Amino acid sequence: MSPPRYDAIIVGGGHNGLVAAAYLARADRKTLVLERRPMLGGAAVTEEVYPGFKFSVFSYVVSLLRPEIIRDLDLPRHGLQILPLESTVTPLDNGDYLASWSDPDETRRELCRHSPRDADAAVVFGRLMHHMAMAVKPIIGMVPPDPASLSPGDLAGLLKLGRHFRSLGPERFHALHKLMTMSSADYLDEWFEFDPLKATKSASGIIGTFLGPRSPGSAYVLLHHYMGEIDGAFRAWGFQKGGTGSISNAIASAARAHGAEIRTDAGVERVLTRDGRVTGVALSSGEEIAAGLVVSGLDPRLTFTRLVDTKELPGELLEGVRRYKFRGSSGKVNLALSGLPNLSCMPGEGPHLRGAISISPSIEYLERAYDDAKYGEFSRNPYMDIVIPSMIDPNMAPPGKHVMSIFVQYAPYALNGGWTDAKREAFGDAVVKTLARYAPNIESLILHRQVLTPDDIERITGLSEGNIFQGELALQQLFFLRPVPEWAKYRTPIHGYWQCGAGTHPGGGIMGASGRLAALEIMKSAA
Amino acid sequence: MSAFRHDVIVIGGGSNGLVAAACLGRAGLRVLLLERDEKLGGQSRLVEFAPGFRAAPLGLDPGWLPDPIASALGLTSLKRAEVAADISVMVEPGTFLSLPRDVARAAEAIAPHSAADAAKWPEFTARMRKLAGFLESVYQAPAPDIAASSLGELVPLLGLGRKFRALGRRDMVEFLRTLPLSVWELLDDWFESAPLKAAVAAGGIQDHQQGPRSGGTGFVLLHNLVGAPQGAVRGRGPWRDGPEAFTLAAEQAARRFGVTVRTDAAVRQIRVQDDAVTGVIAGDGEEITAKAVLSTANPARTFLEWVDPVWLDPEFLHAMGNIRHRGCTAFVAYALERLPDVPGIGSDAMAGMISLTATIPALERAADAAKYGMVSERPHVEFTVPTLTAPQLATGGRHVLVARAQYAPYRLRPGAIWDAASRDALGKAVTGAIEAVSPCFQSRVLHQATWTPRDLEERFGLREGAVSHGELGLDQILFMRPVAGWGGHSTPIQGLYLGGAGSHPGPGILGGAGWLASRRILSDRKRRIEARA
Repeated sequence: MSPPRYDAIIVGGGHNGLVAAAYLARADRKTLVLERRPMLGGAAVTEEVYPGFKFSVFSYVVSLLRPEIIRDLDLPRHGLQILPLESTVTPLDNGDYLASWSDPDETRRELCRHSPRDADAAVVFGRLMHHMAMAVKPIIGMVPPDPASLSPGDLAGLLKLGRHFRSLGPERFHALHKLMTMSSADYLDEWFEFDPLKATKSASGIIGTFLGPRSPGSAYVLLHHYMGEIDGAFRAWGFQKGGTGSISNAIASAARAHGAEIRTDAGVERVLTRDGRVTGVALSSGEEIAAGLVVSGLDPRLTFTRLVDTKELPGELLEGVRRYKFRGSSGKVNLALSGLPNLSCMPGEGPHLRGAISISPSIEYLERAYDDAKYGEFSRNPYMDIVIPSMIDPNMAPPGKHVMSIFVQYAPYALNGGWTDAKREAFGDAVVKTLARYAPNIESLILHRQVLTPDDIERITGLSEGNIFQGELALQQLFFLRPVPEWAKYRTPIHGYWQCGAGTHPGGGIMGASGRLAALEIMKSAA
Repeated sequence: MSAFRHDVIVIGGGSNGLVAAACLGRAGLRVLLLERDEKLGGQSRLVEFAPGFRAAPLGLDPGWLPDPIASALGLTSLKRAEVAADISVMVEPGTFLSLPRDVARAAEAIAPHSAADAAKWPEFTARMRKLAGFLESVYQAPAPDIAASSLGELVPLLGLGRKFRALGRRDMVEFLRTLPLSVWELLDDWFESAPLKAAVAAGGIQDHQQGPRSGGTGFVLLHNLVGAPQGAVRGRGPWRDGPEAFTLAAEQAARRFGVTVRTDAAVRQIRVQDDAVTGVIAGDGEEITAKAVLSTANPARTFLEWVDPVWLDPEFLHAMGNIRHRGCTAFVAYALERLPDVPGIGSDAMAGMISLTATIPALERAADAAKYGMVSERPHVEFTVPTLTAPQLATGGRHVLVARAQYAPYRLRPGAIWDAASRDALGKAVTGAIEAVSPCFQSRVLHQATWTPRDLEERFGLREGAVSHGELGLDQILFMRPVAGWGGHSTPIQGLYLGGAGSHPGPGILGGAGWLASRRILSDRKRRIEARA
């Protein structure tokens, strides 16, 4: 091999890898990103799956992208433009609906219609969740200290964490403890009485997660999804102009502006090592590229058992990777529509179609959907989070026509009998039939239907078992335990080989936090 | 001197009340213990459920007796019964996997099901023992509190910290990891044999309204293993001298330390004046004064039924009302003409627990029903024959069998209630489950008594029929038990303390909370006396 042209090679052009590349390039490291597919983004991609219709194929909305990353990389200049979702509507089985709007007064009036008590509670609840998001924010941006270590760095980190928790005061600390340990249903039961409200709120506790609203641990996932900020407003979700692929492209543009090189159609087969250090990578084409640093944006299973020879890794690490749970449970149905869906509960066009539609009429509905999946079937009556991107960004579809993105829980990766084509279609049918109960004209509008099972997600993006977070967001594999104890600081036992994907702290969602923290750690280590 | 007749009134004559009373008496305080029932013992109480037949349905595993408590009360000679196998789990009718406490013999029993599992059994049981051992340390100290600031509060934390580090790197991480884990995951990570996994997993859902797939059941498993020797995966086992052994010995100790014990003495009200307790009003209307009151009854009951809300912060009351209890276990006691025949196990195995649920998915399916307010179609049933270790429970060489069934949720679907009909149906379901592995079982039954969660609430004073006095969720333990910020056994009312299973360290620990509460009372007294001086 010729002497390295690159200081660092990033394996995988997903958003975390791109963020890491941008930060490294900004620090004058000669950086190369290698992406297997023809387009960048991993699970944050926009594709014209049907002529004239652009789908945010996998991820579809954004909230958690770290403000410091947006700032540091000047992403708005590179095309980042997030348009807030203005509402969430939950159709109810009795023909009524529950809506929440970006205007707090409107939301309060709407909630009062169903439960005046809940309308009051929602104000206090919102304030508390804001404080909780603030309480967790510093933890998101910190490299997890190792509680079993005695190194000064770790002890300092632990002390800082301890001081931070004490500074919350007992009331907020206890509230945080509850959020970290309870089920979302139990947590919400303490605040609210109106079931569809509880169900809609608890639904963010089951996103991408193989838990039901009654499962302990789902309140954490609820909090995780609350942590997003848009323009300083917590808990605001938005739609990127051009689809989530444009987020990836914006980050890539920033990386290139700092000098990073990006190659697509360049899948990495192996990471090359000698004497316990990386020397570069080998592409599936056979081409070898040298570098002293290789950063994997792939998930922990691929990072540790596919890209490198497991003989190079200690048994405990491999055991931890074996125990690390993926368990994809989400599906996606993307539709090209010839017109607008008509919601029976709110007929006609209106601002509500520019927001999200949540199929979550009750906690029992969600819990039963989970029960189906536990025993290896997709939910007969699934939870669905629906947006119509073309209502927010008309460029996503031809004039008068629309794209609809439907995120679905649950579709277990390990389906009884496996995901055959027939099963995929049956899953798609279940989704459409469920939606048709609330928007009867939907079937007549469908020009094209794309159904993605966890099996498809794995096959296309590489995400093991189709888990959208590169591993479950469960307490036993978060923070200093993510992905495995002792290797939760982005390093690996192989010198020069790093991890920067969502399989590290703070986990998944389009956050970019892992990519940034990894890059910062790399820069600290070389210094 | 003092106008008060007693220094402390202890409400409740279960293990916590008896231990607290004895400890306070030993420290020289004048203690009055009030027990609502005619007998002491709380959950270990023997009930004559049919003429000539007695059982302690809630006392099948009396719990862990921590050494300091045994020493303080002079109870170090209490012995457990020798049981052939702690647990035998059905593989299918006619075939059982029996797990002796002896690790090597258990491995031999496991080997035909899975050689790999047999090889891992010693390591698994050692690991569980080590983790449960650390939990024991946590349970013998006041709950760690983030708001701790005084030296007195921080010192025990440091001691705990040292014990934590002494686990070593791997086990420190394993401990933290196991707490939020589900037993499903925990056991899948270790073993392959379905019945073996089911046998151990049942300890993670015992009296807990969650399935084995739920997070936090790893913690519940560890909690139920405190005080259990290595290899005993279903708790501590019965006393050699019968279910009342601890109660009788503790009562003796209490009396020896000068405690006045009154049974048939319910409490109707706890009297408060100017934010301080003044005494109680008994069921018959008698007012009894005291400087301090320690309630070992359910915390929510204590505050919501016995204390005038005018003295309490609305948020505190709200939190008390929000404590999740979720009793979901029903018990059935049978008076038998003779021992049942269970093909596949010998009669001596029935001195331990027999579990009729062969797989973890079956446990999970049983748990599903409770979420929707229904009784499991195929409940998880376990049973034991206490007369094999305590023959005196039945006359004339006959036998008693006690079964536990989950899930029978206290809160049923709208329209359904716990009444004679639903009790009967449940009793029949349990009988049917036993009959399926023991032909002719039904023909040997002389009498049968069923306790639904509603019955447990009435007969044993358990709110929502919850044996735990407050679900063992990770948000309802330590400094969160019984409510956030009040994990130290004191309450917002001066002189009023909580020391039952609804407080740290929780259920299944004989005298655990009572002992810590008594120490709190004594240290508060000392501080007040010093302040006055």
